[in-house]
Amino acid sequence: MGGLLSYFRGLLGSREMRILILGLDGAGKTTILYRLQVGEVVTTIPTIGFNVEQVTYKNLKFQVWDLGGQTSIRPYWRCYYSNTDAIIYVVDSADKDRIGISKDELLYMLREEELAGSVLLVLANKQDIEGCLSVAEVHQALGLDALKNRTFQIFKTSATKGEGLDDAMNWLSNVLQSKK
Amino acid sequence: MIPIAPIQIRAFEPNHGMTDSKYFTTTKKGEIFELKSELNSDKKEKKKEAVKKVIASMTVGKDVSALFPDVVNCMQTDNLELKKLVYLYLMNYAKSQPDMAIMAVNTFVKDCEDSNPLIRALAVRTMGCIRVDKITEYLCEPLRKCLKDEDPYVRKTAAVCVAKLYDISSSMVEDQGFLDQLKDLLSDSNPMVVANAVAALSEINESSASGQPLVELNSATINKLLTALNECTEWGQVFILDSLANYTPKDEREAQSICERITPRLAHANAAVVLSAIKVLMKLLEILSSDSDFCATLTKKLAPPLVTLLSSEPEVQYVALRNINLIVQKRPDILKHEMKVFFVKYNDPIYVKLEKLDIMIRLANQSNIAQVLSELKEYATEVDVDFVRKAVRAIGRCAIKVEPSAERCVSTLLELIQTKVNYVVQEAIVVIKDIFRKYPNKYESIISTLCENLDTLDEPEARASMVWIIGEYAERIDNADELLDSFLEGFQDENAQVQLQLLTAVVKLFLKRPADTQELVQHVLSLATQDSDNPDLRDRGFIYWRLLSTDPAAAKEVVLADKPLISEETDLLEPTLLDELICHIASLASVYHKPPTAFVEGRSAGVRKSLPNRTIAHTNDEATTSESATVIPNQESLIGDLLSMDIGAPVAASNVSQPPQSNVDLLGGGLDILLGGPPAVETTPAVQNTGNGLLGDIFGITTQTTTMIAIPKITWLPAEKGKGLEIQGTFARRGSGVYMDMTFTNKAMQAMSAFAIQLNKNTFGMVPGAPLQVPSLPPGQTAEVSLKLSISGPIMRMEPINNLQIAIKNNVDVFYFACLVHGHTLFTEDGQLDKRVFLSTWKEIPAANEVQYTLSGIVGNADAIAAKMTANNVFTIAKRNVEGQDMLYQSLKLENNVWALLELKLTPGSSEGTLSLKSRSVEVAPMIFTAYDMIIKSSF
Repeated sequence: MGGLLSYFRGLLGSREMRILILGLDGAGKTTILYRLQVGEVVTTIPTIGFNVEQVTYKNLKFQVWDLGGQTSIRPYWRCYYSNTDAIIYVVDSADKDRIGISKDELLYMLREEELAGSVLLVLANKQDIEGCLSVAEVHQALGLDALKNRTFQIFKTSATKGEGLDDAMNWLSNVLQSKK
Repeated sequence: MIPIAPIQIRAFEPNHGMTDSKYFTTTKKGEIFELKSELNSDKKEKKKEAVKKVIASMTVGKDVSALFPDVVNCMQTDNLELKKLVYLYLMNYAKSQPDMAIMAVNTFVKDCEDSNPLIRALAVRTMGCIRVDKITEYLCEPLRKCLKDEDPYVRKTAAVCVAKLYDISSSMVEDQGFLDQLKDLLSDSNPMVVANAVAALSEINESSASGQPLVELNSATINKLLTALNECTEWGQVFILDSLANYTPKDEREAQSICERITPRLAHANAAVVLSAIKVLMKLLEILSSDSDFCATLTKKLAPPLVTLLSSEPEVQYVALRNINLIVQKRPDILKHEMKVFFVKYNDPIYVKLEKLDIMIRLANQSNIAQVLSELKEYATEVDVDFVRKAVRAIGRCAIKVEPSAERCVSTLLELIQTKVNYVVQEAIVVIKDIFRKYPNKYESIISTLCENLDTLDEPEARASMVWIIGEYAERIDNADELLDSFLEGFQDENAQVQLQLLTAVVKLFLKRPADTQELVQHVLSLATQDSDNPDLRDRGFIYWRLLSTDPAAAKEVVLADKPLISEETDLLEPTLLDELICHIASLASVYHKPPTAFVEGRSAGVRKSLPNRTIAHTNDEATTSESATVIPNQESLIGDLLSMDIGAPVAASNVSQPPQSNVDLLGGGLDILLGGPPAVETTPAVQNTGNGLLGDIFGITTQTTTMIAIPKITWLPAEKGKGLEIQGTFARRGSGVYMDMTFTNKAMQAMSAFAIQLNKNTFGMVPGAPLQVPSLPPGQTAEVSLKLSISGPIMRMEPINNLQIAIKNNVDVFYFACLVHGHTLFTEDGQLDKRVFLSTWKEIPAANEVQYTLSGIVGNADAIAAKMTANNVFTIAKRNVEGQDMLYQSLKLENNVWALLELKLTPGSSEGTLSLKSRSVEVAPMIFTAYDMIIKSSF
């Protein structure tokens, strides 16, 4: 019975997946959003507020919310948590000073009940900058080892060069599709 | 203290088996919850419906601010309708959710770059309406872009947004250079953008904190505005005209050309455009010389549009009439031939009728009075009480205004009294009182008719008027004592106004017929002083009593003194207020007849408009009249300038009089002071002799310098501006020195002390020659002080040059005001030039430094004038007679060593003379001309 239902759902392919892109300011969230949507690097200014775009990836429709990462805006992330299928958490791998803050924000967010069922995709961004933390180091710094009861994966990316995003989205769409 | 028993609350009985808490939880999630889930719906249609529902709730006043984040999330949409709704919501609730509002910023930024100009304009407009400090800074960049947008609609909207932003944060607008951008828009190719930019600029100028316009218009921009005027919409035209009204042209030619280009607007169908155009023209007329043909034709052109406004709907008529009321007061000539359009129609609403009546009286003159009077007589028989009253009053005002018709007016009033209609009679009596005062000893024969109606008077004003008439003409009314006595029976129940009149009337009666009215006067005095709780009445009673018992002769002088004649029109607006209101024609202020500061909150009081002054070349007549002191509002810069003064100067012994050492008591002494005013001096020299040191001081000035003219004191600092301290003053020259003679009056409730004075830097370098010697002033007391000025201080050119800014400090506050130093007090004693020096200097000074002036009101021959002038340190070097005209060559030297050479041409038998002045510093001319006027018109 369940199989039949998912068959129909798959056929209609109607429901948009709701994805949040979060992370500290300057991590590259807006760049990633538009890289995903139009496939190009656009010049961005700090997002005071949010961007929302429809992104289609492998016949899957995503409604992607890119929220500003400034300290003043972070408290309002919670307004966007309900019905979220996946969180893309972007980390500036070159910003070693603030990786701790990034970790705190991530853990604080994951404690939210509304996000209990959502998939987590961590992007160690700005890998093109020399001297940045490696994926493993980011993994370590964010304390992802301790994460339990959560479908998650970490990828290294460079949004400006377009590297790594494909793999990450591939993984995400597979996970989301199988979850249906 | 009464112990309060604790209220016992009985717990719910537990035996019901279940608690009542279920009533406080609801199974329904509520409307807000439903809307919330709909707003987050995937379906666009459903979302839009939900936002519409939210807006509907908002419109009917339900609080839907809890949905703020959800509505803001719908903001990024390509559906214009949905976007508009969300923006509407934002304008309403951003203020209640100031923190959350930041989430909308990014969308604004994006929308300001949208490809659709409508969306760009919508975004920038909404941004301006959101008054949240936290997000204002993020809106600068988008605004800057929109001000340069390719689409005129977006630029126009952005221009208005700058004015809104200025209201939220003026410093940001100034720092970010938006003012310059706005100024650039004044030369925009699109007239609508120009109109909105100019509207924004004038709004910014008006709300500027300093009171100084931030952006001054120059003739180049004015030209652009005038070009845009012809092409933009009617409301754009109103904006442009209103801004033009704030511009003062640099000369008469420019004023004329602006007039010419604005005049076509008078034919516009929109009343607002017409009125705004009239406002500009009224202001420019001030600059144009009044005798030119141009002025005459322009004045003629103003009448038809005003008349046309009166054929529109009553509401517009009313606004037009209120404005016309101002215009008629300022320039009666404009509508002098249009009396008929102000005749009241039977179906006019009452508010229009009353206004028309007002204007009819203002326009009444000898040529049309017959018509006006027959109209008014008709109105007085109508049914509307208010209107009838005003009509009756109008007849009285006509009598006072148009002297030759007074007799007809009075007989008309008498006819109306015969009707015995109660309120008509009462109004008539009130105005007849004024007619009596205007034309003494002319119409008193009608008093008997008035007395017949004594019993019907029930309004205080009418009763008071009647009592005044009885008292004033007591000697002609045989039974005046009986009449007044009958009033006294109900003295306690009368209105205060009537009580005061009764008191005075009985005292008058007593002074006229002391033999048989002694009892009456004692009765009224005891009523007033013992049985009344009204301090005014009681004090007046005491004063009369004391006067009568001490010196009945003096009492006569006081109580029966000649009253000043009443002026033609008692209800004219005060001239400075009128001028200000003329600047506000076509606005609410002109309808209220109040300056905007009186009813608009939050506007800085400093910005008050005034009509422009005519330039020197045309101010011949104004020069003498424009002398008045101005109180300077507190200004930081000025304080800085003045506070270096030695304000803590010790207050030494006073030169104020001691109480008089005569046998009269305090009241008597106070009375002398009252009598000591200049007008009384001529009529009652006896008083002067009994006067004390104080009076001697005042009179000393006038008597010592019999030849040097003395200018009476004017009020420099009115009590309401000085926190109760009133200062009157004048300047005089005594013994080669300039003196400031001042009268300090304490009108506050508490004593004032620690007076000190400081003068701002001025053209002549005047500084106080000694500390200010004013003793502590108890409430109600007056001190005279004469301060010698020394000419040794720092020099700063003032405008006009004889302007002097003064700061007076006392224990209450520091007060700033400005006044004009009388020119003749600055003429030094060594101002006589040698004949040859005079001749060569006259030739040396170029013709450009020659100014001419026409003197009027000259009496006496050349010799008498020369003598008068010499007494005031204007020295006649030579006298010639050329072709029947007397030529006087005169020289004078100012305290700052500026010489002026003058040639005065007099025609015997004519009251006019021509004065030519040559000086190396020609800017002294206006001041010297004013001084000449004063000296020539003085009599000694």
